[in-house]
Amino acid sequence: MSSSFKISVGMSTCNMAAGSRELFQTLEKEGFGDDLSIMGCLGMCHAEPQILITDTDQNEFLYLDVNPAKLDKIVHDHLRGGMPVDTWLFKASQGEGAELLGKQQRIVLGNCGKINPEKIDEYVARGGYQALRSVLIQHDPMAVCETVLASGLRGRGGAGFPTGLKWKFALAEERDKKYVICNADEGDPGAFMDRSTLESDPHAVLEGMAIQAFATSADEGYIYCRAEYPLAVARLKTAIQQAEEKGFLGENILGTGFSLELHIKEGAGAFVCGEETALMASIEGERGMPRLRPPFPAQSGLFGKPTTINNVETLASIPWIIRNGADAYHAIGTEQSKGTKVFALAGKIKRGGLVEVPMGISIREVVEEVGGGTGTHRKIKAVQMGGPSGGCIPESLLDTRIDYDEINRTGAIMGSGGMIVLDETTCMVDVARYFLDFTQLESCGKCTFCRIGTRRMLEVLTRICDGDGVPEDIQVLDALAVQIKDSSLCGLGQTAPNPVLTTLKYFREEYEEHILHKKCRAGKCTNLCDYEILEACTGCTICARKCPVDAISGERKERHVIDLDTCVRCGVCRDVCNFDAVKVV
Amino acid sequence: MRELNFILNGTPATATAGDTILDAAKASGFSIPTFCHSDELKPFASCFVCAVEVEGRRTLVPSCSTQIMEGMVVNTENERVRNARKTCLDLLLSDHVGDCLGPCMTSCPAGIDIPGFVNHLAEGRDREALELILNNMPLAGSLGRVCTRPCEERCRRQLVEEPVAICQLKRFPADQAASKGWNMMPKKLPAIGKKVAIVGAGPAGLSAAYYLQMFGADCTVFDAHEAPGGMIRYGIPSYRLPRNVIDQEVDVIKELGADFKYNTQLGRDVSFDELKAQYDAVFLGLGAQLASGMRTPGEDLEGVCSGIDFLAAVSRDESLPIGQRVVVVGGGNTAIDAARTALRLGAENVTILYRRMREQMPAWEEEIEDALEEGVHLETLAAPVKIEKVAGGLVMTCIRMELGEPDDSGRRRPVPVEGSDYTVEVDEIIAAIGQNVDSSMVSGLELTPWGSIKANEQTGQTKIEHVFAGGDCVTGADIAVNAVAAGRRAAFSIHQFLQGENVVGDPKGYNHSMGNLSDIPEEVIAPFGQVKRTPMPRREPKIRAKVFQEVETGFTEEQVRAEAARCMECGCRDARECSLREFATVFGASPDRFAGSRRTYRRDDSHEVLVYEEHKCIQCGTCVRVCDELLDDPCMGFAGRGFDARVKTALDRQLVLINSNELVKLAEYCPVGALTLKSDVVATLEPEAFLNAKEDK
Repeated sequence: MSSSFKISVGMSTCNMAAGSRELFQTLEKEGFGDDLSIMGCLGMCHAEPQILITDTDQNEFLYLDVNPAKLDKIVHDHLRGGMPVDTWLFKASQGEGAELLGKQQRIVLGNCGKINPEKIDEYVARGGYQALRSVLIQHDPMAVCETVLASGLRGRGGAGFPTGLKWKFALAEERDKKYVICNADEGDPGAFMDRSTLESDPHAVLEGMAIQAFATSADEGYIYCRAEYPLAVARLKTAIQQAEEKGFLGENILGTGFSLELHIKEGAGAFVCGEETALMASIEGERGMPRLRPPFPAQSGLFGKPTTINNVETLASIPWIIRNGADAYHAIGTEQSKGTKVFALAGKIKRGGLVEVPMGISIREVVEEVGGGTGTHRKIKAVQMGGPSGGCIPESLLDTRIDYDEINRTGAIMGSGGMIVLDETTCMVDVARYFLDFTQLESCGKCTFCRIGTRRMLEVLTRICDGDGVPEDIQVLDALAVQIKDSSLCGLGQTAPNPVLTTLKYFREEYEEHILHKKCRAGKCTNLCDYEILEACTGCTICARKCPVDAISGERKERHVIDLDTCVRCGVCRDVCNFDAVKVV
Repeated sequence: MRELNFILNGTPATATAGDTILDAAKASGFSIPTFCHSDELKPFASCFVCAVEVEGRRTLVPSCSTQIMEGMVVNTENERVRNARKTCLDLLLSDHVGDCLGPCMTSCPAGIDIPGFVNHLAEGRDREALELILNNMPLAGSLGRVCTRPCEERCRRQLVEEPVAICQLKRFPADQAASKGWNMMPKKLPAIGKKVAIVGAGPAGLSAAYYLQMFGADCTVFDAHEAPGGMIRYGIPSYRLPRNVIDQEVDVIKELGADFKYNTQLGRDVSFDELKAQYDAVFLGLGAQLASGMRTPGEDLEGVCSGIDFLAAVSRDESLPIGQRVVVVGGGNTAIDAARTALRLGAENVTILYRRMREQMPAWEEEIEDALEEGVHLETLAAPVKIEKVAGGLVMTCIRMELGEPDDSGRRRPVPVEGSDYTVEVDEIIAAIGQNVDSSMVSGLELTPWGSIKANEQTGQTKIEHVFAGGDCVTGADIAVNAVAAGRRAAFSIHQFLQGENVVGDPKGYNHSMGNLSDIPEEVIAPFGQVKRTPMPRREPKIRAKVFQEVETGFTEEQVRAEAARCMECGCRDARECSLREFATVFGASPDRFAGSRRTYRRDDSHEVLVYEEHKCIQCGTCVRVCDELLDDPCMGFAGRGFDARVKTALDRQLVLINSNELVKLAEYCPVGALTLKSDVVATLEPEAFLNAKEDK
């Protein structure tokens, strides 16, 4: 039985984790199978699962935060009764919706959440593969490179190298075989821009790669996608197959004589394989260890042939640039940083998820307006950008604009787009320790300074967080950090000290407090703080029930008590208390 | 081949297109340390010790794999590069487990190659053993009897049962040489035409003379006594060290060309000023021969003498008459020697009086036991109060002591017990309390508050440029091996001085250690089964106490082989060639700067010829690349990540299971001692001093 609606259920990893598969199955059981479709991620990961209902007049009704109970009402009231449930609808032009969308400009994410990623026709219907078509008709690889160069697009993986220039280098190489690679390893913890794009609009990436291959005279390519993204891999496989069937990939594309064979290579769980030379080693079947550059991949890359490697977001920008022209892209952004950037907002943020904003917007606007601020009574303390290679930008510098050079001047980096918001409950020393712990686990171990140096830095930080820090530790960290940056083979080692260096620069007093006064003001380091329940406690028992280690005891309506030996300083009690009765001492 | 111009360390240089910075720097005379570089392998850029500065590049670049470009400005020697080099080495050392030299060798003041000579002895190469010992210790027979054995205290065999009997092994080849008449003349360097005066024919002076003669100098040795040996002849009785042993060793020094002038006392027969003027250099080995007084009323009475005076007198005449009742005051080896000597002279009743408890006596436990076995009495917690003359002898009033608070040395101070006085009738009292330096006949030198001579610890050089000093006269009364070591160091220094070179003594290379006995991993000692230490044969106590014949008779050949085989061969086979050791020495690196967690001990001995010690690996990856590029056989590879990354055999199998004939080549390429050949035993170390010396055929 078909209704007069088209029902799209969000089917990206984030939606599914929130329970969208069960909603899908319920709708099937309720008899809406013929109307059902799937869509990708709209970036509003703070309010999932999402269901989009489109009526025959093309009116769209986007429901947020749908759970089984809500679905029942939606089915009853809207699908069967024709009455949308107004209070649960997303409104783009007012209130939170306006705040969220107002400053965004969705170029890379344009199709995400708007199409069924498993149906190539929906992609084509929104202008998909027109850019490829026009490029092939023009039949001028150099012109394509020049267009991309003129647009000002810079590598979105983090390095920010002008994409058009990279393509020109590869094009200039006169060799019998060339490759293209899409770097979909996305290793930064907290970054999910690429995952979302691959799951929600894989064809944008494929089209970008086809144009990349044509512009550099390559005929074979790899998408190196981390194995931890099985849905992305599956969607890519489907997309490649459909594209080949339609003649957009494979032999003799669109009858122009240009061929591109694409393979998918899954990563094996190594952050370092996001580094281009280690990535290529991995594709070659070698251990994923970086190699010295020069020679650069454009001259000698995969299997020794000229290779052009670009990030998912970079490639997904290409079709728009070709369709709308270099000038249109160039018009967005700042002097040195053109176009838009996708950020994955996480941490102490009200509206966590993916946002795409024009370069030149301030970090403060992104976090406080688009992201809605912390969403609690606590203020922002810092914003961490660039993952383990990046740095912490303090609240006082949040007016820094999203621009490669402006951000670099703070000591942080643009990075791939991870933006983690921190408040007063975050210990900055612990943040540095956390990232260094990650780096140590992911270091390939090839070069001395990274392998041993980062371990030594981690040992110092761990000691400081345990309360065994000594005054000389700060000097040791400083000196070692600079030397590791100076003598590491690849970006992992060269940037691993950044979180330490930026937190030392902007939050030195926290280090000193840990070392000299054995105190952790944020309430994180177990040996350096205690939690206490004050008189304001009403005995509501919420904290006791939420405590993950059962450290809180007390009778109803009586002041509760925390057993400090059991307490792990997670801070949940402080977060859930409605009476401000939990204090860090 | 295109020629390129570039700037190297501020000066213009040229290179051929394709040259790396490493190649080009070498051609211009600038050496850059490397670990993972090999001319036969593609550059790898893992160790980063070769990193240098290139203007315009943000980070340092590995010189082994960066090619010279036209106009490049390269710095290989500035502060930034040097700091990075040292940090690289400090980091590598902080994760290194192993010993360059065995703990016995590093604790021997003379630096004798102990694992080396012990290995020679184990395999029947007695002559080679002695040659090796003589490189550092010319008095092998003497010290092989009386040395205090600091080496045995650190010997790791004690973690299995007991230390190896290193000292007792050492005398064997020396005794062999003496009894079989071997010519043990060492190689001499050509004569340098310089004269050196050596004052004192004790262990310090003899050692200085031996090595200076080897280095081509002409030495004259002056001694106040009538025979050589100093403290080891006149302070140690012959039942411990037979005189002929000393004389035979001094004969070698005479054969080397040294001239000995006995009965010549500095100050009385020849002056310090004369020596300074007439010789190109002077070595002072005066010893510490002034006995300390008891500070007891009556100690000047006849029948009371000092321990060293007593022993010196007996040394000249072993039939010296002695009273029946003898009391020796003191707790050191001299007191024991005096007591046992008194017995041998015929005293019936010999007692040692010591103010503290037996456990606190500085004398060796074996010596104390030997003395007690022979019938010496030991009276502890008692001290002399006064001595008075009576008809028929002396009366000594003593007082009982009890232990109070600890003093500066950490020992509990003995405190007299009020009213516990008692008297003893004695014939002779020997005070063996301590010895001081008499520096009255040398003027113009800097002295310490205790009267000993100030000299540089590494070189022995004093305030006066051509005057050197060593042994007890510098350190105060000390053990013989320290004196021998000081004499040897001074010989090196004097030779350097005479040749107009920098005076540096005999500096030691960097040494890495696995740590103290408690730090040694179980896996190191596990392979060794229990084999008890060979006891030194001794003459029967009641018989030996009557005569001055040597008490310890020495090991037999079978005993030597068996005892030497107990050696665990600590120390690294690569100690002479290891690049990590070499660079650590040159750049002054330290494992303590970044102390933290370290890798675990893991040794694969399974293969017939190749040994893999994973704990010494520096992860340079050379062996992996050799397998990959030269042998085309992936026997070795990287495994794991980050700090825990390791180089492992394929599938982590034991080496013996790796089916490759070429495996042994890996030892050649490994820059450190992680991969070595079993045939490169710890025993074939050549003395560092003679590696570059020209030989006199």
